[in-house]
Amino acid sequence: MSNLLECKNLSKHFGPVKALDNISLSVGCGRIVGLLGPNASGKSTFIKICNHLLTPTSGEIRISGFHPGVESKKIVSYLPERNYLNDWMKVSDIISFFSDFYSDFSKEKAYDMLKKLNIHAGDRLKTMSKGTKEKVQLILVMSREAQLYLLDEPIGGVDPAARDYILDTIIGNYSENATVILSTHLISDIEKVLDEVIFLREGQIVLHQTVDEIREETGKSVDSLFREVFKC
Amino acid sequence: MLARLMKYEIKSTARLFIPLYAVLLIFALLNRFLNPFETLEAAESFSIQILLRGLSIGAYFFLIIAVFVITLVIIIQRFYKNLLGDEGYLMFTLPMKPWQHIANKLLTAILWCVFSVTVITGSFFILFDSGQIFEFLNYLKDSIKQTFGTAGFLVLPTLVIAQLTAGLMMLYNAMALGQLFQKNRLLASFGMYCALYSIQQVIYVICLLLLANTSFLSLIRTGAPAPWDMNLFLGTLAISGFLLAAAHFVVVNYVLNTKLNLD
Repeated sequence: MSNLLECKNLSKHFGPVKALDNISLSVGCGRIVGLLGPNASGKSTFIKICNHLLTPTSGEIRISGFHPGVESKKIVSYLPERNYLNDWMKVSDIISFFSDFYSDFSKEKAYDMLKKLNIHAGDRLKTMSKGTKEKVQLILVMSREAQLYLLDEPIGGVDPAARDYILDTIIGNYSENATVILSTHLISDIEKVLDEVIFLREGQIVLHQTVDEIREETGKSVDSLFREVFKC
Repeated sequence: MLARLMKYEIKSTARLFIPLYAVLLIFALLNRFLNPFETLEAAESFSIQILLRGLSIGAYFFLIIAVFVITLVIIIQRFYKNLLGDEGYLMFTLPMKPWQHIANKLLTAILWCVFSVTVITGSFFILFDSGQIFEFLNYLKDSIKQTFGTAGFLVLPTLVIAQLTAGLMMLYNAMALGQLFQKNRLLASFGMYCALYSIQQVIYVICLLLLANTSFLSLIRTGAPAPWDMNLFLGTLAISGFLLAAAHFVVVNYVLNTKLNLD
């Protein structure tokens, strides 16, 4: 199994705060990985560094052999934890925007998902609820044939009923060779889809194992183990 | 790819500029029909009609100032919000190099500055008698030809574009350097602008002092400098403007490429 994502001794400091503290990890192709940890554990920081939105203090990161940059951005599809779309735009405008810039973007797939979620392509984002906007962003991200999907809190802002749909959308829209890294603290909701998990605490990796290994070795679910490891 | 970026940038900004231009042109047209200058000149006593016409022409001149101010605000806001704010999460994950983002913002900003000046000039044609304006433009043309020679028609616009480019790049540089701070980034950007402006002034003064004793000695000594001397001086200023803009561009590109830290 070749490594799609590899980082060595990666650190990110914000003044005296160590958001990431010398982490090293590798993730292969065709995996669904849960990046799990409590608030301020470094999940978003790690994902932002992968996307070249933050510059690491030290260490290096490679995605499919490329440092974060133009080449890595062609193969990474990123869902941030915030709304990054222009509110005045119509959904159809944004779809054209993605189609213009990402050669792996499928308009058909996007329109198909919109239809299933009953979102009108002619609607402007400013008329939509926060949850609907998040669904639009997810549709855009999952309509790409990327090699790596980095999803930061994809189910954080939607109601529990919509979570299953979103997870199904994620699972149903990535190719076998692609890898999905999901960051969340809503573990019980996503546990069923995960192949492996990374536990982060105060910027350090405290566990990186497959879900099967965890179940075999500890006899616990990921959710139970998480509660045990991060007990306050 | 830069062309695609510009297509979206123009689309995003046109929705703000076009209504602004439309309001200005409508007010110019309104004032053309109300003819307030003649009414105010001919007025012997105060009346509601005079008040309304005074307000109408006041609003028109206010709109001219507003076009300049809003152009500047939109240019700043597009860089700050679209690249360094939440929208930067989308822009910087596009498979584009930072220089393409900077060039996109710069070229679009220059385009809108030129449009703003053109629309304001166009509104003069609506408001005033075109004969008078052509007369003024002819006078301006003759004056330029007399002072700068025919080359002035190339040197002067080049100088304007060079100084505009340097000014815009300094704004972008201040914002890029401001985002290096972890807190109060807007305030830091303002502080950076003041610092960059001061540095620029010092460089200009040093350059002028150095050049005053060499190339431009004849220009300073003579009361009516020759067109060649004037063009050489303004051309040097234009080149220094472009060099300054290039220096800012290099810094902004370096910061966005290697020091980007979105909130």
